[in-house]
Amino acid sequence: MIGRVPNWIVWVVGVIACIWVIPIIGIVVTSVRPPADVTLGWWRLDNIRFTLDAWMRVWDEYPLANAFWTTLWITLIGTGATMLLTPAAAYAFHFLKFPFRRTILVIIINAFVLPVQVVVIPLFQLWRDTGLIDNILAVLIPYVGLSFAWSIFLVKNFMEDFPKELIEAGKIDGCGPLATFWFVVLPNSLSAIFAVGILQFLWCWNSLLLPMLYLRTTIPLPVLLTRVSGTYDLNWDLRSVAAIVTTIVPLFVFLIFQRQFAAGSQTRTGAKE
Amino acid sequence: MSMSAADAAARSSQVSSPVGGGRRKPVAVRRRRLGETPAAWLLIIPVLILFSITVIYPLVETIRLSFFDIKGLGKPKFIGTGNYIKLFTDPAFRNTLWTTLVFTLGTTTITVSLGWFLAMLCSFAPQRTLPFRVMIFAAFGISEAVSGYMWISMLRPDQAGLLNSVIGLFSPGFAHPWLGDPNTALWMIIVAASWSGVGLPLMLCFAAVQAIPKTVLEAAYMDGAKPFAIMRFIMVPLSMPGVRVAIFINLLGALRAFDIIYVLTGGGPVRSTETVGYFMYRESMTQFKLGYGAAATVILLVAVMVISIPAIIQRTAGAK
Repeated sequence: MIGRVPNWIVWVVGVIACIWVIPIIGIVVTSVRPPADVTLGWWRLDNIRFTLDAWMRVWDEYPLANAFWTTLWITLIGTGATMLLTPAAAYAFHFLKFPFRRTILVIIINAFVLPVQVVVIPLFQLWRDTGLIDNILAVLIPYVGLSFAWSIFLVKNFMEDFPKELIEAGKIDGCGPLATFWFVVLPNSLSAIFAVGILQFLWCWNSLLLPMLYLRTTIPLPVLLTRVSGTYDLNWDLRSVAAIVTTIVPLFVFLIFQRQFAAGSQTRTGAKE
Repeated sequence: MSMSAADAAARSSQVSSPVGGGRRKPVAVRRRRLGETPAAWLLIIPVLILFSITVIYPLVETIRLSFFDIKGLGKPKFIGTGNYIKLFTDPAFRNTLWTTLVFTLGTTTITVSLGWFLAMLCSFAPQRTLPFRVMIFAAFGISEAVSGYMWISMLRPDQAGLLNSVIGLFSPGFAHPWLGDPNTALWMIIVAASWSGVGLPLMLCFAAVQAIPKTVLEAAYMDGAKPFAIMRFIMVPLSMPGVRVAIFINLLGALRAFDIIYVLTGGGPVRSTETVGYFMYRESMTQFKLGYGAAATVILLVAVMVISIPAIIQRTAGAK
């Protein structure tokens, strides 16, 4: 970029990056080596054997497959609901006029500061009284409800740059508010809605506190992992597989999204300059 | 065309419409305004219902419960500020406040300074450091439950723990229960949380520097500025907005921290790693002292609110 870049800079960043992935490499290596070979550490090279034994056995030892499907279902429904409801509300807040519009908007977008701990006790009582404990609705409702604070903010910000001409053109063609939303605004806001979907996907998949408290038998992956990782059992190989299964999907989604995120942020700043 | 002019007038402002002239508005304009309200409510009503159940109601209810003494399923008894007085005379809670402070400041300092430093280095060679940035950012995409498990295996108390082994290179036979010693457990949680978190300030500051127009940097270079001077006078000041956002996000995240503490130590040993966000869980969900836990949550809420005042003002002013 500017002048000659000293090589040591790249080296320093490279060494730090390699240190950074050691914990990740650790569980991957542990998962494919026989436990007997790694009692003195997964990095030992004196007896290298490769095995997929843990990858085969883990499904019988832990209810990992069930937890995977539970997680996938909860995440997809939670993400879908947010992706559907957020743009509708953001459109109403940005383009339509109705009483208390700004008051409601200010309350919703400032709720992002609330820690999730605030919902723990009241919703626990509410679900206990309504018999929703151990029903996936007990986590789905807060997943979706708590997402609006940031998702509406994000989509509405995107709509601020929305070309007014398109709205006017829609109106000339006889679109009412709902038709304008469905045929004009929605199809042109997909990138913002998609960004909301990715964030919500990661958040739903990785959540621990709420499912841990409100679900008992149908548990998602992070809860299953904490149930087996806190124990003093010596199946490091099985637990490592469980950890990899828990994180592989969101990690890939995250890494793919991260590239778009970097590119998107650059083009956006470029467009605004 | 006249239709769109009327619409534009209706949408533009509350001042009297130039189309109708005077105080009377054209029928079309008035009907439009009334006509938008039902559609708007239709679109936001699901959001309002869900938001009320999961944000408004819990917020009000948590504050209300904090004034009650609740034992399990028994009838709540109003005790005024009793829970708060009890909190501040409870040595465990006072210790919790200190732990929260150390954890919040520790993770934020390490995360933001290291992330910012790496961002500055990466800015000199954006292409060549791309894979390294992805490697560091990847840690940010791993859930706390999983990264907690990774660190449990890194910090095993025996020789199979990597940290013990590395220190063992210098003093053979070294073995320390990092997570079982009250003096080191909190610091290990800070290390684990920082490991996950560094990617965010790295990306934010890096993006801020990348947004500097190339011509500015080239001009500085043509004027004979050395790389260090470019960093000192151009990159550092222009990355500060990224640093501010990163500090705020990290403070907020550290105050709410729960998962990483739950997975690594469960608040132990001897409650040495309990932050306020964890304390409220322990008191309300394991001891079933719901009122007492609610009071601790309100304290957490106050701390979060104080930190967020600038962000709240900014968002409120920006909400058009």
